[in-house]
Amino acid sequence: MVGIVENEEQLVVCQLAEETYGINIANVREIITMQKITRVPRTPDFIEGIINLRGRILPVIDLRKRFGLAVSEYTRATRIIEVETGGKSVGIIVDGVSEVLRISRDWVEPPSPFIVSVDSEYIRGVAKVDDRLIILLDLDKVLSPSEKAELERVGGARD
Amino acid sequence: MTVPFQISSEELKVFLEEAEEELALLEQDLVLLEKEADNQELLQEIFRAAHTLKGSSATIGHQKMAQITHLMENLLDQLRHQELEMSPELTDVLLEAVDVLVLLKDEIAEQKDLGIDITGIVARLQSFQEIGPGNKTAAPAYWTNSTPTEPLADRREVTSSAGTIPAVEAASTAEKLLAPPAGGAVSAGDAIPAVTPPGEAMASVEAVIPETPTLEEAEKLREAGQRGLTPLVAEIRLQEDCLMPSVRAYQAFLALADAGEVLGSRPPLEDIEQDRVENRVVFFLASRLRPEEISAALLTISEVAAARVEKLALALPAPGRNSPPLAPNGDGTGGDVGAARTNLKAGISHSVRVDVDLLDNLMNLVGELVIDRNRLAQFLGDFSLQEETGQDLGQIATHLSRVTSELQEEIMRARMLPVENLFKKFPRMVRDLAQKAGKEINFLVEGQETELDRSVIEEIGDPLMHLLRNAIDHGIESPAEREAAGKPRVGTIRLTARHEENRIIITVQDDGRGIDPEKVRRSAVKKGLLTEEAANRLSDDEAIDLIFVPGFSTAERVTEVSGRGVGMDVVRRNLERLNGSVEVDTTPGQGTTFRITLPLTLAIIQALLVEGDEVVFAIPLGSVVEALHLKPGEARRINKKEVIQVRGEVVPLVRLTEVFWGQKTVGPTSSEAGEEGANDVIPVVMVNVAGRHLGIAVDALLGEQEVVIKGLGSVLGDIPGVAGATILGDGRVALIMDVAGFAKLANVQTKERVHRWSTLQRDAAGAD
Repeated sequence: MVGIVENEEQLVVCQLAEETYGINIANVREIITMQKITRVPRTPDFIEGIINLRGRILPVIDLRKRFGLAVSEYTRATRIIEVETGGKSVGIIVDGVSEVLRISRDWVEPPSPFIVSVDSEYIRGVAKVDDRLIILLDLDKVLSPSEKAELERVGGARD
Repeated sequence: MTVPFQISSEELKVFLEEAEEELALLEQDLVLLEKEADNQELLQEIFRAAHTLKGSSATIGHQKMAQITHLMENLLDQLRHQELEMSPELTDVLLEAVDVLVLLKDEIAEQKDLGIDITGIVARLQSFQEIGPGNKTAAPAYWTNSTPTEPLADRREVTSSAGTIPAVEAASTAEKLLAPPAGGAVSAGDAIPAVTPPGEAMASVEAVIPETPTLEEAEKLREAGQRGLTPLVAEIRLQEDCLMPSVRAYQAFLALADAGEVLGSRPPLEDIEQDRVENRVVFFLASRLRPEEISAALLTISEVAAARVEKLALALPAPGRNSPPLAPNGDGTGGDVGAARTNLKAGISHSVRVDVDLLDNLMNLVGELVIDRNRLAQFLGDFSLQEETGQDLGQIATHLSRVTSELQEEIMRARMLPVENLFKKFPRMVRDLAQKAGKEINFLVEGQETELDRSVIEEIGDPLMHLLRNAIDHGIESPAEREAAGKPRVGTIRLTARHEENRIIITVQDDGRGIDPEKVRRSAVKKGLLTEEAANRLSDDEAIDLIFVPGFSTAERVTEVSGRGVGMDVVRRNLERLNGSVEVDTTPGQGTTFRITLPLTLAIIQALLVEGDEVVFAIPLGSVVEALHLKPGEARRINKKEVIQVRGEVVPLVRLTEVFWGQKTVGPTSSEAGEEGANDVIPVVMVNVAGRHLGIAVDALLGEQEVVIKGLGSVLGDIPGVAGATILGDGRVALIMDVAGFAKLANVQTKERVHRWSTLQRDAAGAD
């Protein structure tokens, strides 16, 4: 029987700066190819701008910038994942999307600063799947402007 | 406990809408009446509202409501006949009665008995009634002063004398037209016992037959008069023992319909059809026949004891509060409610009630259509249409475009409501708050007929309420304080609305103590918003602007009324979210004016598209004064600020991209002013911000277009200078400029206040 056992979850697996991330599929609305993005002034650096998604305006975040990782050129593999959480809808730019994966919650461990390079603030755990490590994103934290982000915003406005 | 009344959901909806309107009207007018005790017209309107409520509550069998409205009606009638004088105590009781009625209305809305106790209010209403007649004063003065026509007492004869019908007044003056239509049918004379069983109350409802046309009927009669018909009033009296009054009344109606156009009746035709007829019926009609011919026709009907037909002199439409709105209103609440209700038949009625959600949906759909139309136009522009089919396509597109525009305009109009719908709830609030604060306030409202989109009306209620509260609590001084300052004891708060180009301007003006910049500075320092040194560096205007900073309040004591300083920043933010703005203008000792500027609608705007650093911006056309091309060297520097001269006027010049991104635009305009690129002209859009002009240098002007405003999404939140986004014909996204916000950004930057502010904030933080 197909279906999700209580202790399982499905992840959309994506790549970002040599690491593998997982987003709960329940939060993913759509995966689209890279689009022309309209910059929006006076927003934090990681907010790339807004796009027209079939008549809707969707804000887009560059996850590399959000995590303070090295910025790289967009490639043909670059994708925008539209995620939705807490009533907020946003597109996040990742280096690529590889698969949808079913994992058991038993495989998830709390984030450890030794394993992941990203600020553990945005992470709800790390799943060990075979020999891979999949970093599970805490979308609420990624989307809600933390105090740090607010500060960046003020700093940006001052420039 | 069972529900004490029976009502179907359809009836319920109609009843509630009606009741809400009447209750709002009652509240509003009672507050007015306190000041204008002699205003018979107003009193009449109040009486009519109470009367209508009584009728409809009795109809659904809601006894409590019927009882209260009945008592109110009695008191109002005594007022009308000068048997009782208006007093603050009476106003209090009547307003209290309205409050109870509101509770009872909620009871009906929820369809359950909430066990509301009305004995208190009933007793209080009755206590006035008992002392009423003893209070009778100054009646003779009234008769000689304000009503040149026969006193109301004569009218009472109309209903009391049987058989013969005295020549009843044909309305001859505007005053007369608006004079008490209910006549003396329910008056102190034939006073119903203070507490009547509901059955009796209902009977008395039906006994009331106003014999002047409503405004709407008068309008139709007048219009018929212009077509060469004569406006007439026809009255029949049926025999006392008449078995089928409604049938006879209906026969009379048919006879009159043969003779001309029947435009109204008392009781209304619905009532006649439903057998709710006493033995007297009045019709308003327009006919080519002579009155004698018509009355002769009426007298041929069995059981008609008497008939009278007379010419009806119609006054010009009365200006002011009772004039019907110019455009039909979306939900029909704007017009003369009474007139709408007494419409003869659905066939005559020209308005329907429309669910607000339906209008919203229509608006959204039209918004989509506008986007598609723009896209279509763009596609067609890209093709060369030479073949016949192509030309056809072009024609179809042109027509579609025109129809879309018209559709959009009409739906926008359907959504427009007079601000009266919002303003009418303020007088009561001001009165109560003033009383609580121990202030004496004369509250003036102007321009309540100004129309704007209902979505805007919904959004500005809270900000306005806040400004009014502020004016009462902080603006107007106590009576003693005012007298000491040599000002009139009674303070004035003026709320006005008007159109200005395609914006609406709402002002809240008080003649109170004004805002003292020094006090604001001190308060801001005390609250840790900035350092003392920084505060002293601010100009007076800048200091006063601090009241809009979050967490600021100059109130020396926190009161129930004005809260705790969570106010003005929210007011400004809310208004700016609507693509509006608020400015303050104050003179210490003389008063304060808050000026709110709002768009007429929130959904679609005309905009000038410009480009700055590859981003397209839509500048709302309402703010654009003109677009011009600046020749090299035309910008100058004065006090480190760039300015241009436009027909003698010196206008500050800022660069779009510089303001938004803190960088100079690419290309020839990037060099310092005064040494512009040799040949290139710079496109400049001159905008109007609260009466001041500002030139915005852009990279390119792209032309005018209608754009549908879309939000940026909650992730981005409020962005200074950006009101939203829109999708262009080619699918690109453009940002809609919030011109007021942009100007502020520009202003802030030229004054280098951003830097100063951040320094100040750091200082303040460090001091903690």
